[in-house]
Amino acid sequence: MSSLFYFFKESLQGFARNLSTTLGSIITIFLSLLIIGVFLVSGSIVERLVSSIEEEVSITAYVADDAPQESIDGLMAQIQSIDGVASVGFTTKEQALENFSNSMTTNPEIIEQLDGTNPLPASIDVDLADPQKVDEIAASIEADETFRSICDEPDNPADSLKYGQKTVDKLFSVTKYVRYLGVALVLLLVFIALVFINNTIRLAIMARRKEIAIMRLVGASNGFIRGPFLMEGALHALIGSLLAVGVLQLLRMYGIPRLQSALSFLSLDVSGNTYLMIYIVLVVAGLVIGLLGSAFAMRLYLKV
Amino acid sequence: MTSQLSQALPMLEVDEMAAPMGAPVITFDHVTKTYPAQPKKPALHDVTLQIFAGEFIFLVGHSGSGKSTFIRLLTREIKPTSGKIYVADEDLTTMRNWRVPYLRRNIGCVFQDFKLLPNKTVFENVAFALEVIGKSRHVIKTQVPEVLRLVGLSDKLNSYPDQLSGGQQQRVSIARAIVNRPPLLICDEPTGNLDPQTSRGIMDLLERINRTGTTVLVATHDREMVDNMRRRVIALDRGHLTRDQDRGVYGFDV
Repeated sequence: MSSLFYFFKESLQGFARNLSTTLGSIITIFLSLLIIGVFLVSGSIVERLVSSIEEEVSITAYVADDAPQESIDGLMAQIQSIDGVASVGFTTKEQALENFSNSMTTNPEIIEQLDGTNPLPASIDVDLADPQKVDEIAASIEADETFRSICDEPDNPADSLKYGQKTVDKLFSVTKYVRYLGVALVLLLVFIALVFINNTIRLAIMARRKEIAIMRLVGASNGFIRGPFLMEGALHALIGSLLAVGVLQLLRMYGIPRLQSALSFLSLDVSGNTYLMIYIVLVVAGLVIGLLGSAFAMRLYLKV
Repeated sequence: MTSQLSQALPMLEVDEMAAPMGAPVITFDHVTKTYPAQPKKPALHDVTLQIFAGEFIFLVGHSGSGKSTFIRLLTREIKPTSGKIYVADEDLTTMRNWRVPYLRRNIGCVFQDFKLLPNKTVFENVAFALEVIGKSRHVIKTQVPEVLRLVGLSDKLNSYPDQLSGGQQQRVSIARAIVNRPPLLICDEPTGNLDPQTSRGIMDLLERINRTGTTVLVATHDREMVDNMRRRVIALDRGHLTRDQDRGVYGFDV
């Protein structure tokens, strides 16, 4: 216990001795962890969005403008008979345009630019009873002969079918690259933080060179000599990670609601547990970075 | 350990050694140390000797004769190239790294340049040696003033090293070396920076410490001191043990 107190006292002295480098390493850790945290939070927001889209289990089948009404009725009856389909509805071209203009009330100029033409296709809307079967049902509609003959894009019938899974796939192909970029950035930041801590601890070791020589001379154990430096690195990291957690919490309380009101059509809600997990991950990652950085420095500059 | 030691014993010419006083504290068994920088010229060559508890020994020799190597081998800062070294029945050549601090707690060291911390008071400098090996406050509060009284500095507890004379600083450094009551005290040129009269005082102090049963090993250039005190003298010359003499003199022509 008394030696823990001693380590703490010594590491605080180290703070005062190298104030500027200490601040430097705290700020690098803080920024790295903040960016990691922002990535984690936005990652979980995207994940929530993706799963909410996946839960949206309706299939829209677009049909060509010149499709005969009896084929459409036949197809609808055909789809209704597929196992797992709850209901089948029909949206005409006019209704589709109306829906579109209703969702575009904020920029009516888009509608004006259409100049009275209607580029939107009519569609058959399929609601599913069993969300698990969305792929299967989409495949059987796609395979249907009638659908192939009346679909909006006869060259590629699959493109005339729209369901949640496809949106998710598109979203994923974008988020995949964002994620790679994020991981690379995080690794770079962790590396920089390690270098900074390493340097700070190196300076702390240099500043206490004489004391270390005497400690060795009188037989202080290796752990006792190393303790203050490990403690110092861990303290830098702890302060940095707590700052990052604090800023993230501020963002959560003030930033996210503002963003939410600007992007009202998306839900940016993430559960409190997720935030708690992210905070814990950040503090633990910070501690690991701090301890690793000082351990590297000791390996290099403190041969015991 | 004891069995290893008794195996090693027949190889030693015990009869030529100083009269044994109990078990040997230090045993050098055909020790050779070669530094990588000078592979042809060993710093110590085939040195075999024993030092017994309670002895007072002078280690003499010119610069480069191997005195410092001898001391650094004892504190296990370096390992011998060949041969065995035992300190208090422990084999330093096979000793694990984590054990080394515990070895050093049993060896007090005093140097020519004192190695005191300038930003700590006399009391704190001596207390530091106990603090870093995990002694309690109570032990520190009782032992530090006592050892400072022994070296004659009871009135300088709160002075800083740069407020003291060279002799006084060396006394602080001796106090720090013996505050943990090590059975062995090693001094590397303890009077190298001091005038003859101050040196005399330091030697008196070392003799008093020796009388309490501590084995004292002094590496020195100080011819007058060695000739006056008539203690066991171990002479090294270019790495070779040239003389091991009871009640000896310095002996080199300067």
